[in-house]
Amino acid sequence: MATNPMHQFEVYRIGPEIKLGTIDISFTNASLFMVISSLAIILIFNLGSKKNSLLPSKVQLLTELSYTFVSKMISDTAGSKAKPYFAFIFSLFMFVLFCNMFGMIPYAFTVTSHIIVTFILASFIFVAVTIIGFMKHGLGYLKLFVPSGVPAVLLPLIVVIEIISYLSRPVSLSVRLFANMMAGHTMMKVFGGFVISLGIVGGWLPLSFSVALTGLEILVAFLQAYVFAILTCIYLNDALNLHH
Amino acid sequence: MPKDLFKTRLEIAKSKISNRNLHKDKKPPSSIGTAFKLSTELVSAVLVGTIIGFILDNTFGTKPWLILTFFFVGVVAGIINVFRSAKNMQK
Repeated sequence: MATNPMHQFEVYRIGPEIKLGTIDISFTNASLFMVISSLAIILIFNLGSKKNSLLPSKVQLLTELSYTFVSKMISDTAGSKAKPYFAFIFSLFMFVLFCNMFGMIPYAFTVTSHIIVTFILASFIFVAVTIIGFMKHGLGYLKLFVPSGVPAVLLPLIVVIEIISYLSRPVSLSVRLFANMMAGHTMMKVFGGFVISLGIVGGWLPLSFSVALTGLEILVAFLQAYVFAILTCIYLNDALNLHH
Repeated sequence: MPKDLFKTRLEIAKSKISNRNLHKDKKPPSSIGTAFKLSTELVSAVLVGTIIGFILDNTFGTKPWLILTFFFVGVVAGIINVFRSAKNMQK
């Protein structure tokens, strides 16, 4: 079933079946691509930071550019207080970016097109940000749910709304990344299928669409990683500088 | 050049750069990124509200009522979410 556009999202086992109790923890193609992207990040950034020459090589330039990019993003959105979390946000951004970009290679598997992957990432961020908020402000962090200047009659309703709005953060964060990646890859596959079915006579139009879509998808892959990281910064900012 | 002099000059240059960055009107690097953000903001709050209502309904046995209430509370929360991120975009 090579023509099925959803076939590309199938997770299958590579190697032997490993079971931990009742949980299946076998090595799958998803885990393979996570390992590949992590290794690629480690390799590129080790190569780029090994030799600090004044006249940078291409790899060094790439590393330094991405460093300043993320560093500027953090200081713009979360202020100087968020500097200690640079390493976390940088690795998060790079991991999502590399997973998205590796998914653009034909026949590759896009890890971030599965909601479970993005949801785990997002809920990890959510839990971490909540813990940081409580550590910095103690129980005063709960003030986030009580906006100032609200009449006492409306307060219970507002608090419930605020809590739902707070809880919806990981959901919106994960759904956005997953939906964008999955929709884009499905669309590319569908247009690719049109090229085959229309043949050499009518296939040129969907082929040109496919080319344009590939460019768009590369943009989306970068943009979604960027949005993912910048929203983490915004949530971190809420936790560090409590003002509403 | 003495080291101290260099240091003060570096400090001055650094503060100049940060001042310039501060006064520059902060335009987000890509408005598409922030535009993508709005779409899921509304849906996720509705989803979370409905899930909370569903769970509470199952625990208290008040089958249709809490899910209905929390659905609408979720809608309100979603609209507030969208307003907030739109406000953030304008900043």
